[in-house]
Amino acid sequence: MIQHSVRAAGGDVIRLDGVTKTYPAGAVPALADVSMTVAAGEVVAVMGPSGSGKSTLLNLLAGLDRPTQGTVTVAGRRIDALGEGTLARFRARHVGIIFQFFNLLDDLTVEDNVLLPAQLAGASRRRARTRARELLQRTGIEEHRNDYPARLSGGQRQRVAIARALVNSPELLLADEPTGALDTATGQEIGRLLRELNAGGQTLVLVTHDAALAERYAARTVYLVDGRVAAAEVPA
Amino acid sequence: MSWAGAIRTAMGGVLRHKVQAVVIGLVLLIATASATLGFTLLAASNGPFQQAFAAQHGADVALTASPARATTRQLAATRTLPGVTAAAGPFGEVTVQADQGGQPWGPLRLAGRASPGGPLDDLVLSAGHWADGPGQVVLDGISGQFVPVGTTLTVTGLPGSPALTVVGFANSVTNTAQGWVTPAEITKLRGPGSPPGEQMLYSFASAGSYPQLRADVREVARALPAGAVAAPVYWLVAEQDSEGNGAIMEPFVVAFALIGLAMAVLIVGNVVSGAVVAQYHRIGVLKSIGLSPAQVVATYLSRVGLPALAGCVAGVVVGNLLAAPVLNQSSGAYGVGSQQVPWWASVAAPAGMLVLTGLAALGPALRAGRLSAAEAIASGRAPRSGRGYAAHRLAARLSLPRPVGLGLAAPFARPARTAVTVAAVAFGAIAVIFAFGLSSSLSRAAASATLSGTVPVQILQEGGKGPGGPPVQPGGPAQNAAVTAALRAQPGTRHEVAVYQDGVTVPGLSGNVNVWAFGGDSSWVGYGIISGHWYDAPGQVDVNAAFLNQSGLAVGETALVNTGTAQVPVRIAGEVFQPDNDPELYASTQTLPGVATSANLSVYYVGLRPGTSAASYAQAVNAALGPNSPWFADSRIDSGQFYKIASDLVALLALMVAVAAGLGVLNTVLMTTRDRVHDLGIFKALGMRPGQVLTMVTCWILGPAIVAAAIAAPAAVALNTATVHAMAGTAHTGVPAGFTQVFPPSRLAVLSLAALAIAVAGALLPATWAARARPATALRAE
Repeated sequence: MIQHSVRAAGGDVIRLDGVTKTYPAGAVPALADVSMTVAAGEVVAVMGPSGSGKSTLLNLLAGLDRPTQGTVTVAGRRIDALGEGTLARFRARHVGIIFQFFNLLDDLTVEDNVLLPAQLAGASRRRARTRARELLQRTGIEEHRNDYPARLSGGQRQRVAIARALVNSPELLLADEPTGALDTATGQEIGRLLRELNAGGQTLVLVTHDAALAERYAARTVYLVDGRVAAAEVPA
Repeated sequence: MSWAGAIRTAMGGVLRHKVQAVVIGLVLLIATASATLGFTLLAASNGPFQQAFAAQHGADVALTASPARATTRQLAATRTLPGVTAAAGPFGEVTVQADQGGQPWGPLRLAGRASPGGPLDDLVLSAGHWADGPGQVVLDGISGQFVPVGTTLTVTGLPGSPALTVVGFANSVTNTAQGWVTPAEITKLRGPGSPPGEQMLYSFASAGSYPQLRADVREVARALPAGAVAAPVYWLVAEQDSEGNGAIMEPFVVAFALIGLAMAVLIVGNVVSGAVVAQYHRIGVLKSIGLSPAQVVATYLSRVGLPALAGCVAGVVVGNLLAAPVLNQSSGAYGVGSQQVPWWASVAAPAGMLVLTGLAALGPALRAGRLSAAEAIASGRAPRSGRGYAAHRLAARLSLPRPVGLGLAAPFARPARTAVTVAAVAFGAIAVIFAFGLSSSLSRAAASATLSGTVPVQILQEGGKGPGGPPVQPGGPAQNAAVTAALRAQPGTRHEVAVYQDGVTVPGLSGNVNVWAFGGDSSWVGYGIISGHWYDAPGQVDVNAAFLNQSGLAVGETALVNTGTAQVPVRIAGEVFQPDNDPELYASTQTLPGVATSANLSVYYVGLRPGTSAASYAQAVNAALGPNSPWFADSRIDSGQFYKIASDLVALLALMVAVAAGLGVLNTVLMTTRDRVHDLGIFKALGMRPGQVLTMVTCWILGPAIVAAAIAAPAAVALNTATVHAMAGTAHTGVPAGFTQVFPPSRLAVLSLAALAIAVAGALLPATWAARARPATALRAE
């Protein structure tokens, strides 16, 4: 069996060692013996066909699920063995997640959506609100802060989701098909926003089908096929 | 799709949603069990004597004949007299004197019967077994309040003082004896001091009134040698005795039955409609693969119907099991032999609950049948857009932990479901608060009626307190003075007063009025005062409701009392709580000249100093009085069997209603958790910890619970007041205000927490499930 390991120079924000994930109902592992690292400040795209294990990899990196085998280290901490409470606390402080379909809470205003992770992490009200306003301004949706998500366009909702993911200043930002539900122009806007964030030093893992997005914004691309790392490319 | 396929689909739905099926089953189990119990109690309180009399083939007359004057054959021949429709006997009969553990038991009228059954007077064993050997006795059920099976009674006055071991308790609907032994044992127990008798039991064609019964007995007497017949006991006497408590339980049984029924409707409706609505997406899928609208309706009705049917069947069984001990007790309270669960209660309760469930499910199922496949798939489970947004905005501004704010705002997204939950919790809390209140009210009534709270020890004359039997020869002045001296010598004595019982006449009242005249300070005795005050000067008296009702007099008015030696005008100072059909009058011996005689001295009431043991005190007094005194101290004061049964029933019914309410909450939270499973995944992905999820989900129900508590507290107070007054009304008496003032604000506040307790208990399980769910699982689960 060939092991594919992708490593980068500098401090690693992510380190996966021999990670396998098998779901109870599945005979074939969703991920099989995957090892990889992501360095601080790096943008890595994860690509692959449907069912290749991209979302499973993202869930494991976010601490939303646990590997069947192997270790997952994020921001210097091994998270595969943490209890649910500690894991949730870790997730709130160190990981931001952007979902394809935004996953905003419909009954909360834009500002309350953005504030939520900070409030759950126990940040002071004033500091959280200041940070939320700053992020809403930076993502260009400050004027909508009292609106509900249902009244926003897809691009605006994804900006809210990005602001929400950043409110606790996480070391790692995970984006699951961040432009998948958007038209091309809006997708490019979101791509540019993500690049700006990376320019500011934000480590980013992009899970995408979109080869153009990966090529344009990612420093490296990891290809998954049938739960295994098939190849890793660094664009020229 | 074929109907077989539709049925398989329904079964699959049940198996896939086990928790919801279990909740539906449990709610219906409790609702059916409480309905069965409620119907049974209502039936039991409706003419309990007549029911028991018919079921136990009650004897119209129990007649004791002298064997010296009538032979067994002559007695047996009376069975065929014209007008006699059934007869049993002769049974040997004897009255013996007994004691138990040194305490006088009093006279015991025993009959010799080989078995409890017979053509007449079927005896119902409530404990132990029938006497089938020498030295065994089965006592009547009332005695079971004082001694357990296995107790040994010593028959005094016979050579060798034979012992009788209590092997069981049985009830005769017309109280034909106080105990039963084998026929052979009767012969052994006959001695010089215990005149023999032969008991015959008869049922007559005409026995509806005393004149008819007396005529029937005359016919029997005519067929026997002169002077053979003595002491007939008529069934009408037993009926009148049983009327004392009859129907008093009805008001609170009805109250609980209504609460239980209303809650069952709410919870079943909520559970069932929730189960159907939650499955709209699945309905859409099923329709898209060929399920017809009729099959959809049938599928969802059967999906609810299967666990409902199981719950109803189990509920009938549980209801019958619960009813058995309750009926056993209530038959004692009503003074009848036995009561059974009526067959129709076991049919009506589950049938009613199934119909109710069907009606609750029909609306949503029909709606599901009418929905197009696309509509059903699209309708989803999320709350309608816009609902609850303002509540969330407000909660976000409050200085509350975020999970608390999110939890408190959540119910506004589903106002109809929240309203049903508020109602279910409110009913549960009403039941709990009402149960505590009613128990307090009943315990105050019991303490007032039996004086058990203030008079822990009574000094009685032998035969006056045992389980039945006539009074014995009164003590003389010297023996009475010895009682007073013994009581005053005891360090534990706080109060003591001699009580004289007599009959007086009052113009306007037919027959004698029972008088209780106190030979000293009686202000501490503690009768409940309905209106006016306890007498505090000579010339004043207190009376019970029967006195006022029958005389037409009112508190403050004057009555003329004829004591036999003098006619005295007395002012009615107050109405006391003594629910008795006979008029009673309470006064000082100074007010009623001629009453305070040795012959009338009935009892000494004793109040004890705090910390004094009533049993030890009674023992010490008995030791001081010695074995030759006709007086004895008794601390086995009947604290009111009826009130105890009523309190136990109240507690049982309240528990059942509270559990049902908790299940209703569990179901609501479960449905909400399923509705919001994706949101829960988002919360978790954003860093909400399991403890925070638990807090948030628990808070979903906290707001409705607080509203429910605010509704339940005043409603329960009003219900308690109305029920106590209704119970008193059925006993034709008023109640002292203190009986309903059982909810001081602090107590009411604490009891109102019942709503929160029910809500939290119901929410905890689904909240724990929600807290434990993996974020990725929750995000995928929609």
